[in-house]
Amino acid sequence: MALVETQDLVKKYELGGETVRAVDGVSLSIERGEYVAIMGASGSGKSTFMNMIGCLDIPTSGIVRIDGIATSDRDSDALAELRNQKIGFVFQQFNLLARTTALDNVAVPLIYAGLGTEARREKAKAKLEEMGLGDRLDHSPAKLSGGQQQRVAIARALVTDPVILLADEPTGALDSKTSEDIMQIFESLNAQGITIIVVTHEAEIADHAKRRIEFRDGKVIEDVAVNNSQKVSS
Amino acid sequence: MIGNFRQQASGWLVNVAIAMTALRTNLMRSILTTLGVMIGVFAVTLAVAVGSGAQVSVMQSINALGSNMALIFPQPDTGEGGRRSFDRGRLTMRDARAIQKQISGIDDIAPQLRSNIQLIVAGRNASTNAVGTTPGYGKVSNLVAENGRFISEADVRSAARVVVLGPTVARKLFGDFDPVGETIRINRAPFTVIGITESKGSSFGNDNDDIALMPISTMRQRFSGDSLAGPDDLQLLFVGFQNGISLPEAKREMTKLLRERYRVRGKDINPFTIRTTEEFMKESAQVTGIFQIVLVAIASISLLVGGIGIMNIMLVSVTERTREIGLRMALGAKRSDIRNQFLVEAAVLCVIGGAMGLILAIAGGTALTVYADFPVPIGVGVGVGAIIFSAFIGLLFGGYPAVRASRLSPIEALRTE
Repeated sequence: MALVETQDLVKKYELGGETVRAVDGVSLSIERGEYVAIMGASGSGKSTFMNMIGCLDIPTSGIVRIDGIATSDRDSDALAELRNQKIGFVFQQFNLLARTTALDNVAVPLIYAGLGTEARREKAKAKLEEMGLGDRLDHSPAKLSGGQQQRVAIARALVTDPVILLADEPTGALDSKTSEDIMQIFESLNAQGITIIVVTHEAEIADHAKRRIEFRDGKVIEDVAVNNSQKVSS
Repeated sequence: MIGNFRQQASGWLVNVAIAMTALRTNLMRSILTTLGVMIGVFAVTLAVAVGSGAQVSVMQSINALGSNMALIFPQPDTGEGGRRSFDRGRLTMRDARAIQKQISGIDDIAPQLRSNIQLIVAGRNASTNAVGTTPGYGKVSNLVAENGRFISEADVRSAARVVVLGPTVARKLFGDFDPVGETIRINRAPFTVIGITESKGSSFGNDNDDIALMPISTMRQRFSGDSLAGPDDLQLLFVGFQNGISLPEAKREMTKLLRERYRVRGKDINPFTIRTTEEFMKESAQVTGIFQIVLVAIASISLLVGGIGIMNIMLVSVTERTREIGLRMALGAKRSDIRNQFLVEAAVLCVIGGAMGLILAIAGGTALTVYADFPVPIGVGVGVGAIIFSAFIGLLFGGYPAVRASRLSPIEALRTE
């Protein structure tokens, strides 16, 4: 069974009296353990597609199944639970809570998972240490570099031990050196068995993935395995 | 079960922590919003306290009168319809003696005549309300001579020119000098001051110590000649009962006795009126109850305005933090989690405002008690009530903004800049 599966997925918007088909009949499946890059120009529908498989947006028609669960027959509470337990999000602008410590930021998903204060602190601390931020627990985002902020965000995405990591332009706000660090983290996470789906328009970022799906005008125009040079050389 | 409860409790604590962070972020705005609730809670709490103070005050003045007693006036009792058998009311000394003799459970009686008099001594003068009465008055009204003595039976028999002064009158005429044994002139006749009563304080701005007491016979001879219908008439009769006596029952018996004496038949109106302290208490409780309701209703308007302020600022807060709401939803917050977060924030604002309003009300109440001599009791019950009520205001007016926040679509909220 595929981890992520879509059938004839469609998302339409009404914009200035015109109907825009942002995602136009996409059917594909992503297996457990894959590392997928979703590419395309802006307006190609790649972000809308990702928001639907992340259960943030509701399809106009078609089916999304996450780990065998069809999202269309779930209410908003069930979708919130699904996001909390199965999906981790990484955003371009990090989306950390200001005036809140790294530790408390990482602990947010655990509040909604219903964990007590102590358990939340322990798990959040462990994830931050895994990201190499064990000495930055009490720093607020304003006192962290961009790369550190994104690593806090990754720790937050992983703190509930999800099966899928969804990253929307995760390096869009970072310099190339830091971007490379983040990509290293993604690769090692993938090696640990976490399914990663990255939306990007940068070819170098997409090159780290094992599979590349290209969107144009709401449709998939290319879906290929990537010949990863780094993997070959190692 | 316990684990689940702890999880929930910690969830609420998290919401309080989130609320505190949010409120600190917009400190000035939070303070201004809180001010509205503070003023509202201050007004309502003080209104409640002033109302119950009025109640206490009335009870005190009734107790000062004597707690278990009936008052009989020579006034036609117009309470119920029926034929008037008398043009004016009647009540005589003979009626008083008959009551004392035939009604059981009586402690003592105090027949009275009242008149305004002018007292003069060595260039100073004072006018006061004089009561002509018998030694029974002291017992019925819980009034004792603190200095000197009270009126005696012998004084009454001989219509002696003696007077017992209330502390206020004594101070006006003699200052700090002890007046017992001194001679004063009352309406030109010389009187000997035989005693000073203990202070009974004031109730409702009415000074209970501004009084002079003399034998009823003296009063009848000198001060109330023409105003009475007969030589034996009384203006007022206090009947003090022993503890444990049923006042309504005693009132029925006295009514029956007096109706027989005046030959009142069927539904005819009585030429006298009997009121008991129990009735006074019930009536004044009603009056002060209405007074309190009106006061609280007016004060509630300011609390309403404060509540609207809360709603307004919570709507602003929800709009400003739309992106945060979207993020929390993406991280797994259910609608109820978002709703509760904003409800707690509104409640925290209101409880802080309420606590400050309560402190202000306690200060105001204390000032009123000290400077205006009006009791304004703010008990633990009122305090706890004010805080709970503040939280309720928060939930009420924070409800709409919170529900609005919880209904946002995750992706649209997340996309908001």
